[in-house]
Amino acid sequence: MNFRSHAAIAALALAALPASAQETAVIGVSIPAATHGWAGGMNFHAQEAIDRLEATYEQLDFVLATASDPGKQVNDIEDMVATRNIDALVVLPFESEPLTGPVQGVADQGTWVTVVDRGLSQEGIEDLYVAGDNPGFGRVAGEFFAERMPDGGNIVVLRGIPTTIDNERVEGFQQAIEGSGIEILGMEHGNWNRDDAFTVMQDFLSRYPEIDAVWASDDDMAIGALAAIEQAGRADEMWVLGGAGMKEMIQRVQEGDEMVPANVTYPPAMIATAIELTALNFVSNAPVSGDFIIGSVLVTPENAAQYYFPDSPF
Amino acid sequence: MGRTGVTAPPALALRRVSRRFGPIEVLHEVDLALRPGSVHALIGENGAGKSTTMKILGGYLEPSEGEVLLQGASAAFASSEAAEAAGVVMIHQEFNLAEQLTVEENVFLGRELRRGPFLDHRTMQARTAELLVRLDCRIDPRSRVSDLSVSDKQMVEIAKALAREARVLIMDEPTAVLTRRETGVLLELIDRLRAEGAAILFTSHKLDEVARIADEVTVLRDGEVVLAQEAAGLTEDRMAVAMVGREMSDLFPPKPAAPSTETVLDVRGMTVPGRVRDASFVLRRGEVLAFAGLVGSGRTELMEGVVGLREATGAVFVGERRLPRGDFGAALDAGLVYLTEDRKQRGLLLDKPLRENLTLLALHRFTRGLIDKRAEDRALDEAIRDFDIRAATRDMAAGHLSGGNQQKLLLAKTMLAEPDIVIIDEPTRGIDIGTKQQIYGIIHSLASAGRAVIVVSSEMQEVIGLAHRVIVMAAGRVAGELEGRDIHEEAIVRLAMGLGRSGEAA
Amino acid sequence: MTATETQARGTRRGMRLDFHVLGPVLALVALIVIGILLNPNFLSYGNITNVLARSAFIGIIAVGMTFVITSGGLDLSVGSMAAFIAGLMILVMNALLPTLGVSVATILAGMATALVAGLVAGAINGLLVTRGRIEAFIVTLGTMGIYRSLVTWLADGGTLSLDFDLRTLYGPVYYGGLLGVAWPIIVFAIVAILGELAMRHTAFGRHCAATGSNEQVARYSAVHVDKVRTATYIMLGVLVGVATIMYVPRLGSASSSTGLLWELEAIAAVIIGGTVLKGGYGRVWGTVVGVLILSLIGNILNLTDVVSPYLNGAIQGVIIILAVVMQRGRAASR
Repeated sequence: MNFRSHAAIAALALAALPASAQETAVIGVSIPAATHGWAGGMNFHAQEAIDRLEATYEQLDFVLATASDPGKQVNDIEDMVATRNIDALVVLPFESEPLTGPVQGVADQGTWVTVVDRGLSQEGIEDLYVAGDNPGFGRVAGEFFAERMPDGGNIVVLRGIPTTIDNERVEGFQQAIEGSGIEILGMEHGNWNRDDAFTVMQDFLSRYPEIDAVWASDDDMAIGALAAIEQAGRADEMWVLGGAGMKEMIQRVQEGDEMVPANVTYPPAMIATAIELTALNFVSNAPVSGDFIIGSVLVTPENAAQYYFPDSPF
Repeated sequence: MGRTGVTAPPALALRRVSRRFGPIEVLHEVDLALRPGSVHALIGENGAGKSTTMKILGGYLEPSEGEVLLQGASAAFASSEAAEAAGVVMIHQEFNLAEQLTVEENVFLGRELRRGPFLDHRTMQARTAELLVRLDCRIDPRSRVSDLSVSDKQMVEIAKALAREARVLIMDEPTAVLTRRETGVLLELIDRLRAEGAAILFTSHKLDEVARIADEVTVLRDGEVVLAQEAAGLTEDRMAVAMVGREMSDLFPPKPAAPSTETVLDVRGMTVPGRVRDASFVLRRGEVLAFAGLVGSGRTELMEGVVGLREATGAVFVGERRLPRGDFGAALDAGLVYLTEDRKQRGLLLDKPLRENLTLLALHRFTRGLIDKRAEDRALDEAIRDFDIRAATRDMAAGHLSGGNQQKLLLAKTMLAEPDIVIIDEPTRGIDIGTKQQIYGIIHSLASAGRAVIVVSSEMQEVIGLAHRVIVMAAGRVAGELEGRDIHEEAIVRLAMGLGRSGEAA
Repeated sequence: MTATETQARGTRRGMRLDFHVLGPVLALVALIVIGILLNPNFLSYGNITNVLARSAFIGIIAVGMTFVITSGGLDLSVGSMAAFIAGLMILVMNALLPTLGVSVATILAGMATALVAGLVAGAINGLLVTRGRIEAFIVTLGTMGIYRSLVTWLADGGTLSLDFDLRTLYGPVYYGGLLGVAWPIIVFAIVAILGELAMRHTAFGRHCAATGSNEQVARYSAVHVDKVRTATYIMLGVLVGVATIMYVPRLGSASSSTGLLWELEAIAAVIIGGTVLKGGYGRVWGTVVGVLILSLIGNILNLTDVVSPYLNGAIQGVIIILAVVMQRGRAASR
């Protein structure tokens, strides 16, 4: 499913409904703090969605809490239940395991639960699940490599922080390039961090005299890798595919930068979608439940304009 | 008050006890008997052997010869715990209290009362409160020891001993840290304990207290009993004479010629909060001025105040120049230095080599942007030669030197700053006699060379042998000043004890 | 103790001390040999430049940290401070763009900002420790959190990026060099040499060691203990500024993940180098060796597939602990 059209539908549905005089509903939103670029964008979109919805609907009240670790997030959720008596919880779990119990506790009290991006370790707790498609993210990237390198070639891969998300992405990528003749020379963790990616890429460049392309599974890492390649003076030899749709990178795609031929989305705005869909339960008679998987899309110079948000910090 | 116990058989006694540390005999055939219902005062100068005697009584040390008798039977305490089990409890001058625990927890430390698996706080608190009432001490059993004043801590220490139902109490200068009022309470308590039948050993430098409380007095000098008799009929003066009466040795060089009349240091109205009240004195060129007094009389604090190492009020003039307060660096620039008594904790960096220790005070003299290490090495050569520092290797750590050589290194370090005025605190503490003599020679030559020296000393002989003039301090004040032929032990002891000048009394 | 006993002890200690002096150097040599054996590119000009240049940030900071630790202090805030200063620099330079344009003046203003910010931040740490009489650990743990939050706030949760044209102009400060030696390496070398001189050959260095060894002795030797302490924190702050000046041109950005854990790497390097954690003895050249050891471990692991990259931290941990064990050996021989 295309994320953009989906968000548009949600917004439309909301706009179409008049602000009725129902009881005030409190929606709690618990997300990880902005400790890296993608999370920063996600924070931005969460805040923006909340501001917009609060302005439109008097009967909606939001509580937003950002946590820097899973423990803090559990505390946040407990506080929301105890002190604000929330009617719905939108949660992007810091980690799946530690949050499963507490969120189940909230759900058991009859509170509406929306889980975003990272699934809980037990199924059937949440009423609504909104997530990006991690295997798809890797697959779309892998398919782009296969298509762009029909005769095969040598690539290196910068992985993220060792997590399930990272594993799913890399597996999807590897499946997609199977049989394409593309050889992965080396894979190291760049931890979704510019500085780490810079260092790892420098060492890849020292180690491998021939690299045709780089898959950096995140745009922060892509920026670090690009800087290392430029420093080594090997910009002509290879291109870099990042991911997640950071605005600077989308801009470079749009401008037709040789080194940045494309991007793969993993939109931080999915949090806004989740909040909007959750809000629908309280302002309309059409409750939305189920799983919403927001697919990853290949961004090319042709469609880049669609994915460029100059106001977002990400 | 009942002074009838003198004839009762002793609860605890020493018979011909000697004690050696290595080749040095610190106690020689000491006899001492503590009787139930009686207070026995043990007095003597610093280093006379009082502490060793008490430690042997309390089971902390074993005698080298002779025996300890408990109820007339030979008893060799294996440890202080064994002594405590036998009802012999020692109250230390340095408190054995756990600072972070409460009063109650301290009193019952190691023998807590239990009810089932849990501590019986209520009973322990009630008993502690009872004990404190007996001591007329108004502290809460639940207060933390670290929050208490020094005198209250002393009371807790005594309460702890009482809680152990001691039959023999050994009190090491219990009044040293108490105020007059608190001392009164303590003496009354001792009266009551005596009446209850306890045998008490009491030491104090304050002879009026001894006269007030003691039934028997034993005077130690150089590890030997020089006087042992009933207190009745013994005057304070006789006690003092017995304590110090000893011949002068020829440890000391002849005193340098009389100092000039030029004042090099003028201290006016120096007050160190809680330690020194309104002390004033002058020091002349070429003079050796000694500060005598009991430990804790405020001499060190006064000197630290003068050089700016301690917060103090009052004025210090070096020549015409008034020193800024609290700035040791400024005093140093003015040519005034202070040599601490605590050479291990404050004098030397024990883990650093000799060279770095030597030049630390006068480092600016070796620095022109960078440190001139060759000049430092030359300075070390000179110091080793001039001060006769015996070091195994030049780059050994200062902590590996013997005490005497550490002291000489400290002296050399101080002299490197080329001071005009040197204040030396306890110049010969804990060092052997040969080194002592060397250090006396150095002090002597400093004065002869036209510098001025202040010696703070608790060693009577040193004060008499070195000084042109002696200022005696007592309880934070200047108690008196002695010059020339007036400098003798009895006069100093009298002033230090707060008795006034000899000849005025008796 | 007799003279012969003393003599014997002195000699024994001397030999052991030699081992301690050489320990970190031997470890470094061993790592280099391993690197050469595992990958022929290890000794290439490019790789050596990479390793040295990326060591420069931590290295410059660790030199300052050596003084702080030697005088008995600690600073946990340097990583966050670097991130904050980097963010501040970028904001200032972007803000000056309309008036000063893409010019050297803008960049110099940014550099001045970094140095002043570092000085102020260091002074705050130092004064809180000395005047405020608060444990260094607590003070700098506090400022660590403060600077980290401030940079996140400045960046609005995202990344602060330097204007692209300014980056191009500023870039040579990281990527350029003199006679084939990259600027960060040159600056690191200068800082290290000056640091070694200051530690070993100036009154300041001697006073740092004296203060850390025994504060009372230092005070009784007319050392202005508080001034020395404060000066070490200020010096470290300024060096964090210098490190940031070299860092910003590399990627031209700062975010809340900039400088993460730099403080621990710097402290680890200092300790591996033989400086005593509780103060009293410091060795700047040792710190340089420590920084290189930590960098090389990462580099070698990236250049080979022998060890799982998951174990990178474990290998660093083993080396740090070994260094401390060796330190204890020396303390016991005292």
